[in-house]
Amino acid sequence: MVNSEGQLFTIEGLAAGLIMLLTAFIVVSTTSIYTPGDTHISDMQLEQLGSDALRMMNTPNTSADSAESALQSIIKNNDTDRFRETFLWFCNNKTGGAYDILQFSTDVYYRNTPTTSVNRFHFTESRKPTGGEHAVRVTEWVQVDNTAGGSMPAEVDNRVQAVLVEVLLWRD
Amino acid sequence: MARLNDDAQWIVLMGFIVSFSLFFLGIVINQSTVVGQTTAEGVLEFPKNDILDIRSEVLQSSKITVAADFDDVKKDISSIALSRKNAIVSFRVTQAPPGSTYTKIIDIHYNNGVTAYNETTNY
Repeated sequence: MVNSEGQLFTIEGLAAGLIMLLTAFIVVSTTSIYTPGDTHISDMQLEQLGSDALRMMNTPNTSADSAESALQSIIKNNDTDRFRETFLWFCNNKTGGAYDILQFSTDVYYRNTPTTSVNRFHFTESRKPTGGEHAVRVTEWVQVDNTAGGSMPAEVDNRVQAVLVEVLLWRD
Repeated sequence: MARLNDDAQWIVLMGFIVSFSLFFLGIVINQSTVVGQTTAEGVLEFPKNDILDIRSEVLQSSKITVAADFDDVKKDISSIALSRKNAIVSFRVTQAPPGSTYTKIIDIHYNNGVTAYNETTNY
């Protein structure tokens, strides 16, 4: 057995070592308190912004010339340019300074009566998505009167119908 | 421990107490990351916009006067909601009883497996 006189000093040394290690651990970990949850906050804001923009576009007109909302007539007339302009304007507009840099890609989902399946046609986009974007999905139901004379793509039934406009929205 | 000088036992004790309390503080900080994530996911997954949107679409459809068109739109909403939103949506529009202030009674049912929303509204 070796000399055991210094046991208290050993214990004190151990305790001090633990304290220093844990302090270092806490100091290091406070810099990374940015939690995985915090990344979702910007997603939530983007989702809300996109939903609000679509909702504004789908608000019915009060003017006498047409009771249709802007989005209704855009989808009905397949007016992709107007959609791109309006949507980008709503999303990227700011109170002052430069415009924001949001990009989008839009698809429209509809139900096909003969096959009773839900199909999709690509509507428009501001830039082709590469697949690497961190995009959020926002949607809006639109009621379209695509009876005879409607100019939606040929594969869409000619009837009054509800379609779902899906927008992928991301910050460039 | 027989021949040992035991004067400094308080220092040792305090050392242990401080180190253990720091250790538990570390655990608390670790937990905060998990809490932040579940909260954000809870907010993201709650289909607030879906429900508002379905609701406004149903109210709009209740204006359709042609019965065939209404049935079409009803099928559209149910099948597209199921395939794109994983949600079961069904609704019914009935005429309000004669003499009522309202013209229609609308039932809306929405269920995406996590959130269920049911509404009866007078319109």
